Parts: sequence; structure tokens; C-alpha cells
Amino acid sequence: MKASAATSRRAGGTSGGRAFIGVAGALALVLPGLLAFAARCPAAMMMVEDQPATNTAPAPTSNQEKPPTGTKVPELVQPLPPKDAASVLGKKVKGPNGEDLGMVVDVLLNPGGAPRAAVIDFGGFLGVGSRKIAIDWKALDFTSLARAGTVELGLDRAQIAAAPEYKPDATSGAAVVTTPPAPPPVDPDK
Amino acid sequence: MSVAVAKSKPVRDEITRAGRGLDGLNLFVANIQTGFGPFIAVYLTTRGWTQTGIGLALSIGTITAMASQIPAGALVDAIRNKAVVACFSILAFAASALLLAIFPTALWVYAAEVLHGFSSCTLGPSTAAMSLIVVGPAVLGPRLGRNSRFASIGNGIGAALMGGCGYLISERAVFFLTAALTLPAIFSLLPLSQLRDPLVPPRQKRGKRQARSRVPMLGLLKNRGLVIFALCAMLFTLGNSAMLPLAGNTLAKESGNFASLFIAGCIIVPQIVVAAISPAIGELAEDRGRRWALMIGFSTLPVRGVLFALISNPIALVLIQGLDGIAGACLGILVPLVASDVAGRSGHYNLVMGVIGLTIGVGATVSTAISGRIADAFGAPITYLSLALFGLTALVLAVTAMPETRPPRPR
Repeated sequence: MKASAATSRRAGGTSGGRAFIGVAGALALVLPGLLAFAARCPAAMMMVEDQPATNTAPAPTSNQEKPPTGTKVPELVQPLPPKDAASVLGKKVKGPNGEDLGMVVDVLLNPGGAPRAAVIDFGGFLGVGSRKIAIDWKALDFTSLARAGTVELGLDRAQIAAAPEYKPDATSGAAVVTTPPAPPPVDPDK
Repeated sequence: MSVAVAKSKPVRDEITRAGRGLDGLNLFVANIQTGFGPFIAVYLTTRGWTQTGIGLALSIGTITAMASQIPAGALVDAIRNKAVVACFSILAFAASALLLAIFPTALWVYAAEVLHGFSSCTLGPSTAAMSLIVVGPAVLGPRLGRNSRFASIGNGIGAALMGGCGYLISERAVFFLTAALTLPAIFSLLPLSQLRDPLVPPRQKRGKRQARSRVPMLGLLKNRGLVIFALCAMLFTLGNSAMLPLAGNTLAKESGNFASLFIAGCIIVPQIVVAAISPAIGELAEDRGRRWALMIGFSTLPVRGVLFALISNPIALVLIQGLDGIAGACLGILVPLVASDVAGRSGHYNLVMGVIGLTIGVGATVSTAISGRIADAFGAPITYLSLALFGLTALVLAVTAMPETRPPRPR
């Protein structure tokens, strides 16, 4: 930045502006190239974050296209077809009339490792005013998750709006929203 | 410079064209900045990021912006052609938006946040410096009022465009749109690219300016006007910046199906107010003095806090949020204006801007943290009242301690 400014200063009054636009143009041309190079960079394949895993179904919850392939496939590796498990973090939650309610931002597990509730980010505009609410895992329908990438919930916005906000560090635990005919909550000790 | 004194027709034409450039620059930069707000959290969530990861990425952006305020100001002071600085800053925005859109993985998102954090700190001061060069210190107030009007129009349009884009196309498309909007912003810089010296005559001769520029930086930073103003601005931001998210939260709880619509209203209504009143505030700061504009702006915050604490009707909340526009217009104009008063022709204008920017940044960061704690422990009404109290402190400080910084003008 400093160097180019110095150049344009030396270039003087009339050609200074042209020099700067030239530099800008050059940068605009170089940028896509840099980005393309970066795409092939191994660092770009870094996993985003550690994902929650369950004991029963180790879901490949990463968004990356390719799973990391080792040099030699050990026998412990089992195939997991797409219809058996799908990524859930960041997936849209749809209401009973197909309206967009929010997205899954976290999954709460019981000590046995089974999902107990999904934390869903509801509402908001451009990221302002959204609220996180914990929804009972059983109130959610995951049948269209693998196909359409959405999770269905039988509650509309007005019903959810009354729910208390989910606080991750609350000592008293979280309040979980369930659908009206909800089955009794899972006993973690069973 | 002798040509400028006569204000011949070509010079006047140049001033007009440069003014239009500034209008466009403010409009499009505000458009671009809308994409980099809290929306990044929504976007990263759709890419499977966890809340911890998003928090880290946003913190990197905040810390970069705070750490680079003062160095960036000094850098802008050191470079004479401010349009070059602005151009690089906007290109950095484009790169940042493209990185976010194309590689939403940890390393590149961090890089984008750092890039955006730093270039925000160079762009703001360089825009203000170009305004100062175009119109000169004598009529800076009205010019800044106009800047502020165009910026808020840009914010409003940006919010509508990007909200629509995220809803109808995809969250990722918002960042491509942001990158595309950097092109008209760079185009707006063209009439400003030749700016070197003030287009209107400066009060001192060139030689004297060189001598003056040896004013020590530390002496400038001990200036009473600057210290009190920075403190006021920090206290005000401490009370102000958590207000909108909190109101959004209340709206999300109260208004069910239409929450998003009301929250959009809360974002856009203040922008309409800023666009409407900014030029008047700029004139006021020039005619009646900076203190008046400051007091008018600051007095709205305690009122807003108390009203928010008492009222939860969604439509009323949106209307009350309009008060934020008055405060926003005043502070938006006064920051570059007081910086210009304080820095004079010392050559440290952007450094002073950086100092004020840093204190405002600290205020904003602490505001969200404190209000989160208070809201958890005591609920929203108490939080609104506490924030109002910070606003009241800022007002009292402005009334009692803030000196008038407007330079005396021969009339």
C-alpha cells in the first residue's frame, strides 16, 4: 500500500490518479487468480469445527465435499450411505406450512450420546434479533433432511415466540420446547 | 493554489464533481458494509459452522478493527492521495466478500475478517479526509451532513437488497452482491483521484503548514476537546450499541410471525431519519456550534432507553427506534468534524479519527457484553434503563465538560 502511494506521489498531479486506477485494475485482475490458487491450497480443505457425534450413528456432519481419504483404507472404516445419515448443522427448519423458521445451530446430547434437543436460531433480519431456542429432538422430523436439506417442525412462529431463549451457559439447564402431543422425554439412564 | 482563491469555473466544476464522487462513495460503501454486519453469523451457520467457531471469527474481526484504528489513521495521514487509500480499502472489501463467499472455511474467513477490519479503519478516515480536502474546514459540517445522508440511504438500500437477496436466492449470494457493489464504489472515486491539496484556499500558507506539522502527536492527544469528546462518544456507544439487538430480541418474542418485518423496520427507520435530518444537523453544527448538535444527539438515548423499558408494542418499538436516527446523524457528523477542529492543520487528522474510532469501538464491544450480562440477570427493562443511564452520563459530560471546538471564523 505504502509503495504504490509513493509511486503515485512521485508520478505527480496528473498521472497520479491514472496510476492508482491502473494499480486498482491490476489488483482486480490478479485477485481471481489468487483465489483460484487458494482453492487448491490444502488449508482450504480444513475442517471447520469439531462436529457433534453420536455413539449410534457417526454422521459425517462436515460440509466438505470429500471425506479425508487416507493412503490405505483400514478395515475399521465402514461405508455410510447418504440415506443413512446427513449433516444437520446449519440446515433450515421449516414450519407446518413450509415457512422458513430458522436453522439448526447446535445439538444437545444426553450422557448416553443420543440427541436430546436441537438448538434452533429463529427469526431475525440480516442477523439482528434472532433468538436461540432448544427444541425437543422428538418434535423434529428429519425425513427430508438428506433429500432437501431441511428439518420439519410442527410448530409455527407464534408458538415458538413464547418459548424462553436458550442460554448455553445457564446453570439451571435449558427449557426445551416440544410439540403438544409430545411423547414422554427420554430417560438418559435407561 | 492562487487559482483556487479566485474560484474560477473549472475549479467550481471540479468541486461539484468531487462532491458527487463523495456522495456516491458514501452511498456504495454503506451498501457494502451492510453485508459485513451480523449477517456473517447467519451465513456461516448455513455453512455448518458451530457457534464457537462463528464467535471466534467475529472476535477476530472486532479485535483487528480495534487494534488497527490508530495505526490505520497514522497510515492514512502518511499517504497524500487519500483516493488511493480508499481504493485499496474498497478492493480489500471486495476480496474479503469473495473469500467469504467462495471459501467459507476457517482460515479464509479469518483472513477475510482481518482484511475487512483493517480496511474499515482506513476507509472511514480517508473518506472524511477527502471531504475536508474538497470543501475545506469552513464548510465541513454541511458536507459531512451530506455524507451522512448518502451513507444512510446506502445502508437502507443495502439492508433491503441484502435481506431480499438472502431470502430469495441464498445466503452465499449476499457476499457476491457485496463484492459486486464495490465496483460502483471504486467508480465513484474517479473524480476524487486527483485530489492533493484543498480545492478551497487554506487559511495558512504552505510553508507554515510544513512547520505546523511538527506539532507533537502526544500534545494533540492531550487536547481537552478531544479527550472529552472521545469519552462522551464512548459512553454514548456503551449505552447505544446494545439497544438495537435487545429491541430485536424483544420484537422476536412479542411479534411472532412478523418479527423479521419489524426488525427490518428497526434497521431501516433510523436510516430514513438520518437521511432526512443529517444536512440540517451539519448546518446546525456549523452555525450554532458542535455542542448543540452533540447535546441534541445524546439526549435521545436516555429517552429511547426509558421508552423501550416501558413499551413492548412492536409498532411503537419501531417508531422509538427512529430516535436512534437522530443520535446516529449527530454522532456521524460530529466525529469527523470534531476531529477536524482538534487536528487543525497539524497533519494528524486521521490519527485523531483513529483515536475516536478506537474509543467508540471499545464502547460498542463492552456494550454488548455488559447488556448480555444484565439481561440474563435482571431482564430486558432493567437492561434498557442501565443503557439509558450510560447515555445520560454521556449527555451530562457533554453539557458540563465539552468545550466548543468550532474554530473562530472571521465574519
